[in-house]
Amino acid sequence: MAVLYSEKLLDHFRRPRNYGSLTDPDVSHESFNPLCGDRIRLELKLENNAVTQAGFVGDGCAISIAAASLLTEMISQKDLTFLKTITDEQLIDALESDIKPARLQCALLALEALRAAGP
Amino acid sequence: MEELFTDLEKLARVEKRVAMATLVGTRGTTPKREGAKMWVGEEGRILGSVTIGGCVDARVITEAEKALASSQPRLLQVDLGDEDAWEMGLSCAGSLDVLIEPFDLADPKLVDTYRAVRAAVDDGKTVAIVTPLKDSASRILVMEDGATSGVLDDDVRRVALELIRKRKSATVSIGNESVFFEVHGPSPTLIVFGAGHLSMPLVSLARGLGLKTIVVDGRPRFATRERFPEADKLLVGIPSEIAQTLSYNSSTFVVLTAHDYKYDLPVLKVVLRAGAAYVGLLGSKRRGKSIKDFLKEDGMDQSLLDRLHVPTGLDIGAESAAEIALSILAEAVAIKAGRRGASLREKE
Repeated sequence: MAVLYSEKLLDHFRRPRNYGSLTDPDVSHESFNPLCGDRIRLELKLENNAVTQAGFVGDGCAISIAAASLLTEMISQKDLTFLKTITDEQLIDALESDIKPARLQCALLALEALRAAGP
Repeated sequence: MEELFTDLEKLARVEKRVAMATLVGTRGTTPKREGAKMWVGEEGRILGSVTIGGCVDARVITEAEKALASSQPRLLQVDLGDEDAWEMGLSCAGSLDVLIEPFDLADPKLVDTYRAVRAAVDDGKTVAIVTPLKDSASRILVMEDGATSGVLDDDVRRVALELIRKRKSATVSIGNESVFFEVHGPSPTLIVFGAGHLSMPLVSLARGLGLKTIVVDGRPRFATRERFPEADKLLVGIPSEIAQTLSYNSSTFVVLTAHDYKYDLPVLKVVLRAGAAYVGLLGSKRRGKSIKDFLKEDGMDQSLLDRLHVPTGLDIGAESAAEIALSILAEAVAIKAGRRGASLREKE
């Protein structure tokens, strides 16, 4: 695993940032992979069209948990218009790992939740 | 427990009078434990058993008929001498105390007592019926919060609460009196994390053993009623989050069958701290060691990690899903009973 995944990815998996449910989130959406079973729920607190707090809970593989952790860091304190500009590639690049095509869905699960939440 | 309520309700519909035979004391090796019941109706119906059959049950039936005829309770003592044991086909030589009490079912007292017990149990509570053996008519119900249905001596109440905590029926000598504490609690529950192929026979077999069953998975295509027709609950969501909402006690078996670290790690972080009777994880010793190492690095105490049974199951040469399910449940039952799960003929 250490060969395939970057230290950054493993660190975010072992110590996910912003993990935990928020109290009364303004936006919440749970996405899941129907076959492998990864589930990520992304929650946001909003104020003045900006994300004041981002959090997530979920059970998932190293890639999906690390990606969710990184995504919450990327969007915290950011304007809602910025959220819409985040591309798949940006999040995948942030993992600094060689994500195989079969695992792209894992890497993008949290981003899918963000887009479905539609803040 | 469920069987007791069902039997009583059945009899209440068709019999006017019944004798309730309760196993209140055991010494040595006996096939059933304190609290086992047999009902003998005045019209001849028989439900339940205080042994696994044979001439002891026959003697209880005879004494029950005498109790009904005399309208007097009686305490029957049965020594299972070697000769009797052979007669019954049992390899045991213990002795039993059976309290036999006649009841008029038109008097709602008995049925109401057990309905109150059932209501508490359905609400997830454990309760004790306190019966002095010399005066079995004066039963008092003790709830797990200490509330009682009548006036109770402090020592008796303390023993009742201790036995409620242990979930164990027993006769205890208090002062000059022998008092029987009949403890009832929620049915043992099997919680399975992972709704894969193996979990299906695991749930079916558990139901056959009288366990309530809960299946948890993140995949709605797997945790379906079609795949688990006998499961009491199917819960779909984030497994570790669901794990935090469930209750665990000394009658809860937890088995993780997903064989996937993404469920195993976060769920184990919850359930190993939760006080279940048994936590089993599907996987090899090597995988088990990796999982434990990961959890240890994450700060989990060794004492909690030692509670994990991995690989889960007894060594019975299981290969098929049903055989693996059997080996897992056999180990879980043995652990709960404080046994090793060895062959009975090897037992001293």
